[in-house]
Amino acid sequence: MGWLESLAGRRLIVVMGKGGVGKSAVAAVLGRRLAAAGRRVLVLEFDPRESVHQMLGVAPSGGDIVPVAERLHLQNLRPRQVVDRLVRERVRIPLVARRVLASPIYDQFVTGAPGLEETAVLGHCLRLAEGELPDAPELDLVVLDAPATGHGLSLLAAPGLVAESIGRGPVAELTRRVAALVADRQRCGVVVVSLAEEMPVSEALELRAGLAERLDREPELLVVNQLWPPAGDSPRGAARDPLEELARRRRRLNERELARLAAGWDGPRIELPLVPEPSGPELIAALAAAADGPVGAGA
Amino acid sequence: MSRAWPRLLIVVGAGGVGKTTLAAALAARSAAAGDDTLVMTFDPSHRLKDALGVGEAAGDRPVPVAGVGPGRLEASLLDARRTFDRLVARYAPDREARRRILDNPYYRHLAGSLAGILEYMAVERLFEVWQAGDHRRIVLDTPPTRQALDFLEAPRRIVGFLDSGALRVALKPWFASDGSLRPTRRLGALGRRFEAFLDELVGLDLLRDMAEFFQAFGPLYDGFRARSLEVERLLGSADTRFVLVAGPGEERVPDALFFARRLTEGGYRLGPVVVNRLHPRAGAGSPDRSAGRRLMAWLGERDARGVRELRSLLGDRQPLVEVPLLPRAPSEIGALAELGGLLERRWTAAVPAG
Repeated sequence: MGWLESLAGRRLIVVMGKGGVGKSAVAAVLGRRLAAAGRRVLVLEFDPRESVHQMLGVAPSGGDIVPVAERLHLQNLRPRQVVDRLVRERVRIPLVARRVLASPIYDQFVTGAPGLEETAVLGHCLRLAEGELPDAPELDLVVLDAPATGHGLSLLAAPGLVAESIGRGPVAELTRRVAALVADRQRCGVVVVSLAEEMPVSEALELRAGLAERLDREPELLVVNQLWPPAGDSPRGAARDPLEELARRRRRLNERELARLAAGWDGPRIELPLVPEPSGPELIAALAAAADGPVGAGA
Repeated sequence: MSRAWPRLLIVVGAGGVGKTTLAAALAARSAAAGDDTLVMTFDPSHRLKDALGVGEAAGDRPVPVAGVGPGRLEASLLDARRTFDRLVARYAPDREARRRILDNPYYRHLAGSLAGILEYMAVERLFEVWQAGDHRRIVLDTPPTRQALDFLEAPRRIVGFLDSGALRVALKPWFASDGSLRPTRRLGALGRRFEAFLDELVGLDLLRDMAEFFQAFGPLYDGFRARSLEVERLLGSADTRFVLVAGPGEERVPDALFFARRLTEGGYRLGPVVVNRLHPRAGAGSPDRSAGRRLMAWLGERDARGVRELRSLLGDRQPLVEVPLLPRAPSEIGALAELGGLLERRWTAAVPAG
């Protein structure tokens, strides 16, 4: 089974990795490919500085769910938006809800409550995928562009933490469902993005260990991004060209780090090339095409 | 590095641009030029730890780095939690008050997320070693947070938080000895409903821990507040210079510009803007012999456009330093000092005359 089929049956796919490795591009590629394969997909990010819209070639979503293409939607979410929505749903009298939302106690406790915002984001994904939000389109799955590694792991660990402190009520109920979703590999997939360079590889391996230790699960897929092309034979007798030499060295570094990744991880892997395109739909199209090419070990 | 150079260098920039390596390089160069130097980093790679020769020994306390001199070079890793613990110990009026905070589950699990306290701990630790005065120069690598300049605002935010109404609210005796919420009891049935609502939203146990934490923290506020004002003064002082590191390429320009504006508008002293890991440009008419070479040439053009754009947006008066992509990352102290030397020469050359 190819990587696409293995992910297509899930309700939530969480894309994780160190900052600057191209998580947003990979989330956009997954969204495009899964939509093209017939799934109804929403790509969700929660970053005040949006970036996925640029990859998909649409205007910034500004918090709303916006259509991108057939079967593909995008949303940039503020976690607080979700918690506030839960309050409004729970406190049915609008005036009271407004006063609660404006109260400094609410603000202080909600900001300080560990894991609440993360759980809210995952809860939002769950409700989207299960068709529980009346104003959202019908969806098969959500692709979540998670924050950089450390935060990404606490994102997935958050529901367990919150479930410990809340015993009953609708938030507790949602939290338990979210924790169950994250633990269920049939429904929730984790995709780790890395570069074949020292720090990103170390972080990817740490992330894998953290997932096993804290959540007792493995990632479904590793995406190695921005690989230099294999060096061909240089023409005999040609003068050594400094650019070509540097490109060769980058490739050698990639190969060394790929070997280190492979030694620490034998799961499914796809490798994406470094593409001479600026961030945008052309880059995503090129990466989506490359993602269908030959795949690495175990895939 | 002459003795007239800033005594505190703070290396800032977006994640993944090479801040940690450049911080270590500047520190190595500073020591090679004869100044006792401390480099404080967050998350060095194994290679950099090897290059500094500090291995697993590096921790919260400075450890000596061998192989560079005549100045002494030391390195330390920042540990926000330990710094916070020490701060609590310093300002707690007695053992009992200290215990109450350190044992509080809220403090143990999450005080980190409170009003940017982890970022604050970075500057707090910096201030600690600055005051100790053991080094002629300190180079600080900044936290890999998403909003990487948060730590600048951390002292101001802590003061704002301590002075805010929210804190006075949090400091009230919310919970009666039976564990129920005090003010809601007065409100009768409605109060009980509000209590039930909060319990369902975040859990009353957690609220209890938080309220206890704020109360236990009460006696520490004054010391904490005074100190954060001093920290803020240090960040803005004439001894301090910010080194802004940017990634190459046009797409990184908005990031760099954002950092530069935040710093200058905040009244901080911006040293050089360093565009790091620039791909080389191909000479005119050179043949594209391989895919790798074509890619390198494309990246070289992209990076050159980025530098031009950044230069025009920052203006002539702002020194901009270009650092090329190195064939291999520095893996020993000599290579780091060499990189630091390159940075220093280009910085000197880039400072406008007069």
